[in-house]
Amino acid sequence: MSDKKPETKKRLKTSEKLGKLMADYYTESAMVKAQKKPVAWLSSVAPVEVCYTMDVFPIYPENYGTMCAARKLSAEFCAAAEAKGFSTDLCSYALNNLGSIYLNKGPFMGQGLPEPDLLIATEHACLSMAKWWEELSRHFNVPLYIVDAALPVGEDPSPHHINYFAEQLRELMGFVEEHTGNKFDMDKFKEVLGYSDEASRLFLEIGGLRKTVPSPISPIEIFTNMFPIVTLAGKKEAVEFYNELYAEISELAERKEAAVPNEKYRLLWDLFPIWYNLNLFKYIEEKGGVVVADVYATTFGGRVDISRPFEGLAERYVGNPLLSYGVQQKTELYKQMIKEYHVDGVIFHSNRSCRMASMGQYDVKQGIYEDLGIPGAIFESDFVDPRSYSDEQVKDTLDSFFEILESRG
Amino acid sequence: MIKDFQERYAKRHELAREWKKEGKRIFGYFCGYAPEELIDAAGIIPVRILGSLDKVTLADSHLQSFICAFGRSCLDQGLKGTYDYLDGIVTSKTCDIMRNMPSIWSRNIEIPFVGYIGAPAKRTKAARECLIADFKVLQSKLEEFIGKSIDDDSINQSIETYNESRKLLKELYEIRGKDNSPLSGSDFYHVVRAGFVTPKKEYNKMLSSLKGELISSKSSRDGKVRFLVSGSTFEDVNILKMIEEVGGSIVADDLCIGSRYFWDLVEPASDPIRSLANRYQMRIACPCKHPSEERMERILEEVKKHRVEGVISIVQKYCDTHLFEYPYMRDVLQKNDIPFLYLETEDRLGEEGQFKTRVQAFIEMLR
Ligand code: SF4
Ligand code: SF4
Repeated sequence: MSDKKPETKKRLKTSEKLGKLMADYYTESAMVKAQKKPVAWLSSVAPVEVCYTMDVFPIYPENYGTMCAARKLSAEFCAAAEAKGFSTDLCSYALNNLGSIYLNKGPFMGQGLPEPDLLIATEHACLSMAKWWEELSRHFNVPLYIVDAALPVGEDPSPHHINYFAEQLRELMGFVEEHTGNKFDMDKFKEVLGYSDEASRLFLEIGGLRKTVPSPISPIEIFTNMFPIVTLAGKKEAVEFYNELYAEISELAERKEAAVPNEKYRLLWDLFPIWYNLNLFKYIEEKGGVVVADVYATTFGGRVDISRPFEGLAERYVGNPLLSYGVQQKTELYKQMIKEYHVDGVIFHSNRSCRMASMGQYDVKQGIYEDLGIPGAIFESDFVDPRSYSDEQVKDTLDSFFEILESRG
Repeated sequence: MIKDFQERYAKRHELAREWKKEGKRIFGYFCGYAPEELIDAAGIIPVRILGSLDKVTLADSHLQSFICAFGRSCLDQGLKGTYDYLDGIVTSKTCDIMRNMPSIWSRNIEIPFVGYIGAPAKRTKAARECLIADFKVLQSKLEEFIGKSIDDDSINQSIETYNESRKLLKELYEIRGKDNSPLSGSDFYHVVRAGFVTPKKEYNKMLSSLKGELISSKSSRDGKVRFLVSGSTFEDVNILKMIEEVGGSIVADDLCIGSRYFWDLVEPASDPIRSLANRYQMRIACPCKHPSEERMERILEEVKKHRVEGVISIVQKYCDTHLFEYPYMRDVLQKNDIPFLYLETEDRLGEEGQFKTRVQAFIEMLR
């Protein structure tokens, strides 16, 4: 693994703005306790819109996990959680977060995250989140709300699944009211949803610009530019940012300016990046491969029908393809993406941390090959915990994959 | 008598193939959250798909090594044709492995019917309504499959049969917990396991006669350390046997293939689907459900009631939800001064030696 930082950041004018958004957010997070503003810790794909509606400051331990990994702190943190009895086989997002709490350390000013007043998680993505948040709730002794998603994986969600989710969103507003004293306001909610929807729309469209050959945006740029859609969905700033980013990228697309020179093989990426080694994308690029599509980034998009705020938001979460698709549907989705994005091959990152998303990768790979003749490669690693990472093995897998691509011409 | 139960289980595939020849339909389910009564009411025999100790070969090209041995083994057996007699599978969203299993199963193994229940994890009223709707969807899918409707009477009859089973198992559970009980923990495991693959009416007869036999016999538990075992599914009954051979006695459990499966009865409500939903929602929670306090409370109660001297937890490696709750469980037990031993298994006999030393040491400590 090379230690140099991914350099692509500077290529886009908007990255400076991204840096500022992140800095602002983390500066605010450092002050939020002093301002007596309530803080909620949210799991991934938990409805952050609720926080912005209710004037609660949201913190994403997962997002933080990616930063701990990038700054090479995650190994120490995971080990600290293991020392408390958490198995090394558990999701390293969770281990990293729990460890950083036990050590009270983090990438910002050496400190951990501001402690939560409320905890909000959804077990929609995985059961680990619910269990991890239960542990947080015991540790901090603060109230927890789990947004439960009953979802039939492999089939379309029924109206009762949407209703159940929507019902809980209503309940969640009441939960926040009860514990913060802040009052729910429908107009504010609609405004927040409007921003969230607009940011999603733009983010999806930016992703769509990768259909252009050559791709005007690199995978590292896509992944680093996810911060606003994850953390600031529902804020005006996110919309402004993606408007600018969209303008910049679409101009590049029009000029057919390649994000990565020498784009020979266009690749679909499933699913998580290796957060402590984004440079793997560089390695792929040296071989002429460019990741032009992935569901991980695009899954944070998704439109909201604002005329039915609660149901609309519920539909967006419950309908998330990454979370509610079975292998057959995923295969169909990928096949469609392969066509639209002119993809030559698929790389699957089998992430030891995430059984939910890694299970089925072999079948999807096979299905794509059977139906379209498009080859895939699967390599195994952990996305946050670097302790057992083998760069050599990963590169070996990729090397043979590129040989296959080459032999196909 | 226990032999009968063991044999039943050993011959399960043979027997199922015979039913099949008689024109019966058979469904497999993976998890104790599948509403068996509904399947039974449709005139279909539900059998539980369990792991096996055979080496996993075919599943290797579908599932990573970091998927629990149980999930890998189930799919492996499916791929090998062990379950070729099934007309359908039904499962419920419990853990992340179970959530993905049906789509992978049905992509690779021919199966005419796949029933998947979204299944909420919470114990709230809204969750209940959602589960009721889930069960209704399953009901109408089943009706479509068998080509006729499933009326309330037949569901009620199934409920009665299943409740009868549960009552008998609870009685046997209590017998096992008694001083001088003739029923060991590993015996009881065989008894419960046979129930997953035996039509319940027949099973109930077996349970009744076992009960009759046990009432008149006695054995000695003197000098043995009284344990509660807790944990996920595991296939290797020898782990329990070993605990008993080195001086332990299993008097209570919190096992997926144990009391968690049969503990709660279906109580009558306004209609049978509602009664079923109540039961499956409010049954002793498995760690896949939220919140987790109640499970711990029940363990503490059982410890008290059966004068348990130590708790042994047997958990599948890579089982996220059980693993996540381990430190919590350890702390709860510690706070209550209950000694605790934790064993992580990959369902392989090879670990027995290592387990044995640890269990022996634990028993030494308790004596
Ligand atoms: S197991 Fe997967 S979905 Fe769950 S928290 Fe970890 S990475 Fe996210
Ligand atoms: S052993 Fe655990 S992870 Fe495996 S299927 Fe059972 S509950 Fe799920």
